[in-house]
Amino acid sequence: MKNKMMRLSNETMNIGFVKKVESLSGSSVRRCFQCGKCSAGCPMSAFMEHPPNRIVRLLQLGQWERVLAGRSIWYCASCETCTTRCPNKVDLASIMDALRKLSWDADGPSKESYVQLANRLFIENIRTYGRQYELRLGAAFNMKSGQFLKDLMLGPKLLSKGKLKMFHSKNRNIAQIEGIFKRIEEMRKKGEAL
Amino acid sequence: MTPKKRLNYSYYPGCSLHASGREYDISTRALFKALGLGLKEVPDWFCCGATPAHNVDELLSLSLCAKNLKMAEEVEGDLAVACAACFSRLKHAQHKITHDETRRRQVETAIDGPADVKKPVKHILEILAREVGLAKLEENVKKPLLGLKVACYYGCLLTRPPEVPELDDCEDPSIMEDILRALGAEPVQWSHRMECCGANFTLSRPGVVMKLSNAILDSAQFAKADCIMVACPLCHGNLDIRQESIENKNQASYELPIFYFTQLVALALGVPSTDLGFDSVIIDPRPLLREKQLI
Repeated sequence: MKNKMMRLSNETMNIGFVKKVESLSGSSVRRCFQCGKCSAGCPMSAFMEHPPNRIVRLLQLGQWERVLAGRSIWYCASCETCTTRCPNKVDLASIMDALRKLSWDADGPSKESYVQLANRLFIENIRTYGRQYELRLGAAFNMKSGQFLKDLMLGPKLLSKGKLKMFHSKNRNIAQIEGIFKRIEEMRKKGEAL
Repeated sequence: MTPKKRLNYSYYPGCSLHASGREYDISTRALFKALGLGLKEVPDWFCCGATPAHNVDELLSLSLCAKNLKMAEEVEGDLAVACAACFSRLKHAQHKITHDETRRRQVETAIDGPADVKKPVKHILEILAREVGLAKLEENVKKPLLGLKVACYYGCLLTRPPEVPELDDCEDPSIMEDILRALGAEPVQWSHRMECCGANFTLSRPGVVMKLSNAILDSAQFAKADCIMVACPLCHGNLDIRQESIENKNQASYELPIFYFTQLVALALGVPSTDLGFDSVIIDPRPLLREKQLI
């Protein structure tokens, strides 16, 4: 995908997808004039195959498949440096959020990267407990990613310092929290929200 | 030490402060007590969603924050927030819901009621520097932090993007250094105070965190800092908990204690060191504090 020659035509440019990104992020991609300031300040661009400015250029050209096929969007740390420095007020951090949401919706849980898995477990924790249960989050991540020994030495150290709690109780208002999740799901089913 | 009119704050600690960042919570409470400020935790608060929620579902993130802000209305006083991530998400939700009518309507459906998000949200740094005031802090110093060279680390979310947190300049802030100078400490000039530590990749991509955090530790050591001061439990975790493995991986020796600013301020105001959670951190700061005759 990365090195394939790009042909621009009505068939290969998906402007509908770009409009969705713009609507979700509340930011225009068309304002970008490729100064590259976002990529220059990005702490993660060294890990990405498409640095932030190229992501915007690919969006301008409707090349959503190239954007989503890569791992770049999952390496963004949401540090907001790009959004802060853009001279044209392109809110790249929000565009990254929108791209991850669309990729998340399209992929489902079957094609998960580690970052997607961590995000999903974190959100599940909110729905189940209300507040983060860090021990469960770490343990579930290791189990589901198959990295059973990851950070194993840290566990006992953190427990002895009181930084990890063995037990964790649910919030009293957990039903209200569940209500928020349910109503968002319903809105999406009815097409009232992206 | 009590101000003329007692200031009361409501308090949103956030998940980390009840677990991996417990010393941030302990020292925040001790600090507010020492300053004669009221601090009352919002009952039944829940997770703001932090980075993972907005990463894949902005509407969920906004709704979780809006509901928490609404619950905070029940407690008197502006909302004091210590965690940089919670602070950023709550302020972001306020900004977005106030400026985006479509989003506001969607959030109102999600939380099943009006999105009442007007409660002023304040980071504890701004409460100290602007509401208590630097002069008042300086006046109340019992144990000046003389000779302590500190690298103030802001990280990402305290200042970026500027129109959201409205805390300080987004490229060259000074609020932490200003507070430290009032306490008699010596902030060092260094290159990495605004760089990202890798944040929540600590779970999914620890290799990335080790690389970015190593650059921060290296830069602080180069500037001859005795320690690093932070305002975020994730930054603290990455720099403190992972420091030993970062040293091993890079054949480096940092041994830099990582302080929450609340610990250093409270120490200078005369709070006993045993009440500040120094025993909860991994890189023990007590040898350094003894060397500087601060404990």
